[in-house]
Amino acid sequence: MAKFAQQASAWLVNVSIAMTALRTNLMRSILTALGVMIGVFAVTLAVAVGSGAQISVMQSINALGSNMALIFAQPDSEGSRTTFDRGRLTMRDARAIEKQVSGVASIAPQLRASIQLVVAGRNATTSAVGATADYGVVANISTENGRFISDADVRSAARVVVLGPSVAGKLFGDYDPIGETVRINRAPFTIVGILESKGSSFGNDNDDIAIMPISTVRQRFAGDTLAGPDDLQVLFVSFDDGISLPQAKREMTKLLRDRYKVRGKEVNPFTIRTTEEFMKQSSQVTNIFQIVLVAIASISLLVGGIGIMNIMLVSVTERTREIGLRMALGARRSDIRNQFLVEAAVLCVIGGAMGLFLAIAGGTALTVYADFPVPIGFDVGIGAIIFSAVVGLVFGGYPAIRASRLSPIEALRSE
Amino acid sequence: MTALVETRDLVKTYELGGETVKAVDGVSLSIDRGEYVAIMGASGSGKSTFMNMIGCLDVPTSGQVRIDGIATGDMDSDALAKLRNAKVGFVFQQFNLLARTTALDNVALPLIYAGLGSVERREKARLKLGDMGLGDRLDHSPAKLSGGQQQRVAIARALVTEPLILLADEPTGALDTKTSEDIMEIFQHLNEAGITIIVVTHELDIADHAKRRIEFRDGKVIEDRAVTHRRIPVS
Repeated sequence: MAKFAQQASAWLVNVSIAMTALRTNLMRSILTALGVMIGVFAVTLAVAVGSGAQISVMQSINALGSNMALIFAQPDSEGSRTTFDRGRLTMRDARAIEKQVSGVASIAPQLRASIQLVVAGRNATTSAVGATADYGVVANISTENGRFISDADVRSAARVVVLGPSVAGKLFGDYDPIGETVRINRAPFTIVGILESKGSSFGNDNDDIAIMPISTVRQRFAGDTLAGPDDLQVLFVSFDDGISLPQAKREMTKLLRDRYKVRGKEVNPFTIRTTEEFMKQSSQVTNIFQIVLVAIASISLLVGGIGIMNIMLVSVTERTREIGLRMALGARRSDIRNQFLVEAAVLCVIGGAMGLFLAIAGGTALTVYADFPVPIGFDVGIGAIIFSAVVGLVFGGYPAIRASRLSPIEALRSE
Repeated sequence: MTALVETRDLVKTYELGGETVKAVDGVSLSIDRGEYVAIMGASGSGKSTFMNMIGCLDVPTSGQVRIDGIATGDMDSDALAKLRNAKVGFVFQQFNLLARTTALDNVALPLIYAGLGSVERREKARLKLGDMGLGDRLDHSPAKLSGGQQQRVAIARALVTEPLILLADEPTGALDTKTSEDIMEIFQHLNEAGITIIVVTHELDIADHAKRRIEFRDGKVIEDRAVTHRRIPVS
């Protein structure tokens, strides 16, 4: 215990020696700490932006509905072979899945087409989603104004459309267009609703969309791109809570393979992706994104560390006589080494604390002004401080060891 | 009684421009407890190199140094540091005080390396500065002290660990005559109190304060005798 107290007091003495030395060359100390500050700022912000991206991706996947699978009418190229054959997926498949696969809550078939909308000389191009009334529930979409498409619309292939806010804005500005008529590929459609805004993710405007009955899209816009009158492009399947998605995927795959008589290693004419898989995929992407960011930011920390080493070498050279004196008075080599290590570490921790503060400020600004979550938690803060101390010990190590290896008599003689 | 400082065939050589220079060339002598020795010689005579070796600051090329009966030849740098801290006090020509550091902290410095706590360090430093007549200058930095006062702070620092030997290398070299006399008076008192003093000087006036005079030339001792007409400062 007494030994520990003695050690602690020795380190405290070193901290106070370091503070005196740093104050003596205040301007130089500040500039050196600035280098570390910028490095820690960059790394901390990079870590935070990376996890922010992760959160943002998870949020947009969750917005899709967390317990879902998407089936595409495209051959599954997940394996080694890619094929340019057209895939198959029909309404009859959808009904079979709804009936035979366990835990299906609801299904929402989709057709997509590119359309042009014209009203009073203004026009907009967007992608139309042909859907059923259930699509709103399954894909977590609701209207801000008016109504969604109904079962009756689907049965009658009605010329009704629900616009995304971006499309509505482009055509009508601030004017509420519910009930207005818009010409889509020359045919008049009635606007029955406006969707709630979903913002944008990764430069993709989620509000640049139009939704209409699936039957209408099939009759008017999809035409000859489909192999049969009953064909679908995408099928949304949502499951009850607590259903295992991998298990559900296996069941659906087996069912569809049986229906299309796919055998052995033949490629499936359909592709099934669950939200779990989307999440896994995106987290891989965001992880790489984060690693790249941190790697780039680390370069500035490296530069800061080199600044520390440089200034510590200058400091050791300037204070050679002091080192000699301390040795004459009984300082061991380790005492001299620790003195300079602590000086470098103190410099780095001060710079690191400033960098952390700056990163918190920058992160908050990003969150407020760019609506991008940049979480800097307690763990990141502590990590940044410890990391700066380590930078100090690593880059201060060589100068400190050089100081401790000086010969006392030569050090005392130096000018 | 064993000698306090004993050297045997002490040699120190340097390589200078491809030539080997013998700074100290086979010096054997012993200094007992309580002695007051002046080491004289022209510059380059080897007197400072000799002092650095008996102060354990420099390692001899060959030969032996024993301090208080302990052979220093096999010691590592940590053990030498400990020995310097405990048994040797140094006084330098240029005082070597830390700038921007108070007199008190300067004097307390060696006690850091002795492993003392801060309260004890300050207490001991305060007492030593009081002994040197600087009890009212504890918080002054060296820049605010006269040369004589700075050297007295340095002497207090040399004595704060209660060493057996005080090694002074040209202690009055940077001081005027009057102040030099003051310093020599302090040395006289310290020697009377039992501290062994070794002063390296090239000034005869200073050397005459000592009880014994050793003269170096070309790395060898050419004269070693008692001082017959000592100058004893009148206080």
